[in-house]
Amino acid sequence: MSAARAAWAVYRKEVVDALRDRRTLMVVLFSSVLMGPLLLVALSALLASFEASAESRVVYVDGAAHAPGLINFLQRQTRIVKAPPADYEAQLRARKWSDPVLVVPAGFDVAVQRGEVPTIEVVSDSGNAQAQAGAARVQRLLAAYAQERSALTLALRGVATELLEPFEVQERDLASARTRAAQITGMLPFFVIMAVLYGALNAALDTTAGERERGSLEPLLMNPARRGALVLGKWGAVASVAVLIAMLSCFSFIPAQWLLRSDTLQAMFQYGWPEALAFLALLLPFAAAMSALLMAIAIRCKSFKEAQASSTVVLAAVSLLPLVSVFDQRGESPWHLWVPALAQSTLMARVLKGETLGAADGAVPFAVCALLTVAGLMWVARRLNEAAVR
Amino acid sequence: MIVVDAVAKRFAPPSRSLRDALTRRPVQAGVAAVEQVSFSAADACITGLLGPNGAGKTTTLRMLAGLITPDAGRLSVDGIDVAARPREALARMGVLSDARGLYPRLSARENIVYYGALQGLGRDQAEARAELLADMLAFKPLLDRRTEGFSQGERMKIALARALVHDPANIVLDEPTNGLDVTATRSLRESLRFLRTAEGGSKCIVFSTHIMQEVERLCDHVVVVSGGRSVAAGTVDELLAQTGQTDFEEAFVRLAFETAEVREAPGEVLA
Repeated sequence: MSAARAAWAVYRKEVVDALRDRRTLMVVLFSSVLMGPLLLVALSALLASFEASAESRVVYVDGAAHAPGLINFLQRQTRIVKAPPADYEAQLRARKWSDPVLVVPAGFDVAVQRGEVPTIEVVSDSGNAQAQAGAARVQRLLAAYAQERSALTLALRGVATELLEPFEVQERDLASARTRAAQITGMLPFFVIMAVLYGALNAALDTTAGERERGSLEPLLMNPARRGALVLGKWGAVASVAVLIAMLSCFSFIPAQWLLRSDTLQAMFQYGWPEALAFLALLLPFAAAMSALLMAIAIRCKSFKEAQASSTVVLAAVSLLPLVSVFDQRGESPWHLWVPALAQSTLMARVLKGETLGAADGAVPFAVCALLTVAGLMWVARRLNEAAVR
Repeated sequence: MIVVDAVAKRFAPPSRSLRDALTRRPVQAGVAAVEQVSFSAADACITGLLGPNGAGKTTTLRMLAGLITPDAGRLSVDGIDVAARPREALARMGVLSDARGLYPRLSARENIVYYGALQGLGRDQAEARAELLADMLAFKPLLDRRTEGFSQGERMKIALARALVHDPANIVLDEPTNGLDVTATRSLRESLRFLRTAEGGSKCIVFSTHIMQEVERLCDHVVVVSGGRSVAAGTVDELLAQTGQTDFEEAFVRLAFETAEVREAPGEVLA
């Protein structure tokens, strides 16, 4: 019989078998496919609350009566001054209160006029991220007030204010909106890559180590089909499941966008069909290579459990490799594209930044994945007989 | 027609690890699983390979199925050399091996049709064979159930049907009655007898076992295997006559173990 027909028969059977394993598919679906979009939505909610507090014009001042000058300044900055609740310290600690509190001591204005350098407190809790973010804002306001006061005092004595501020500082941010967003969306490639890996994992182990454990590998090899055809059919099925999971994962970010709570993130995070398709194009060879690699590892193992233990090495490597781009301060190096997982995450990050990928960028990772696939499959085909009889 | 001619297989020792070398563990010797097994199984005949555990029966049958390459000797199926044309030989054989795992998420029918496809049958052809075998082996009600949770006997029937899906002229069974109860064993026996008849296709059937009664009840020809060698062959009556026994178990013990002792300790015999 022709090798192609045998491979097709194996492929069909393995796909049906994998898709009938509903429980595993559901677990993969919930743990890897939905995790990315869910985290994105949760992150956007957090970001939205930060934005809300950044926009809030309320400053909480305890003892506002002691500092009419400061209150006047705050009101001129269009801030609304309010008194905090009595137990604000406890509430800050418990993270129930999300604003810093300005504590003004008695006789503050008088002391300032006398030049006694009184202390004013900005009460916050460094374990309370939102209050901490607000504290920086309040401190900037206080610095501006101090500067205004000293400028006025010196002006009264005939000193030019330029002496106090010999130059002006102006920031110019070169990052585009998408680059800024990439800091937040940078985790997406990781989720997509892991989804592919988990999608392939179960099917790869089941068709190799699982087949050995069940005792169905030996009878399978007693059919007059070429070893290569069997392996090709199995690999095709595993890769197809992995690609299916990859597709679900890539496309799941499109509806996830509609749920984004933060307007800025929504404006910055541009993920549409072109991006999803670019992701998929990068992931196809990766899914193929990972399927072959996992099968090659699992064929040596006598049981599913043993294979799971062995494949954690691959899982760990794939989840850690993309971190190289985080730790490597020199930025992106050419060798990054030669390492599977790292290459895919690097290129996906570029897609998210809005850069267009050329064929040359994809060529190296594609070649590496193709090589890995061929080597893995040849290894599996060679080990098949040995695996069956032991 | 299956001919096995003086096959031998020695398994290499496991490769030495670094730890073995450091602890100076002695080099392990390889295991001679089969030293010299020869027999021929004719068509329309049930040939039994009878031998104690570890005699080399399974290894011999695995060599026949092309899973293991013999170190010496040759095997042929209907004149096709297994070593030279393994896939052609396999197409003429239905092998029920020692391992008979099914796919639990597939139905019995799907399990059988899958093997039909691997044997090169068309879908309709394979479906028809599955129905026919379900009738013959009496498992029709199981056909569309998933094999998860099947009993030992049910599994064996499906595995046997799977091995026979391409209607092979030669049937090789490795300890088929292992784990089966009386009724299942009887029904298997009847199926094999039917397959031997002209109506059943005059199959050449080889099966290995360590159970005397199986052989006595079923086999037309018995090959006694012991210590990796085929030590005697003939009908049950011939073997009884050869050893001068009336009890087949006694005859088997004589043939299997006493010849082995003679071989292992030739000095004593000479003295």
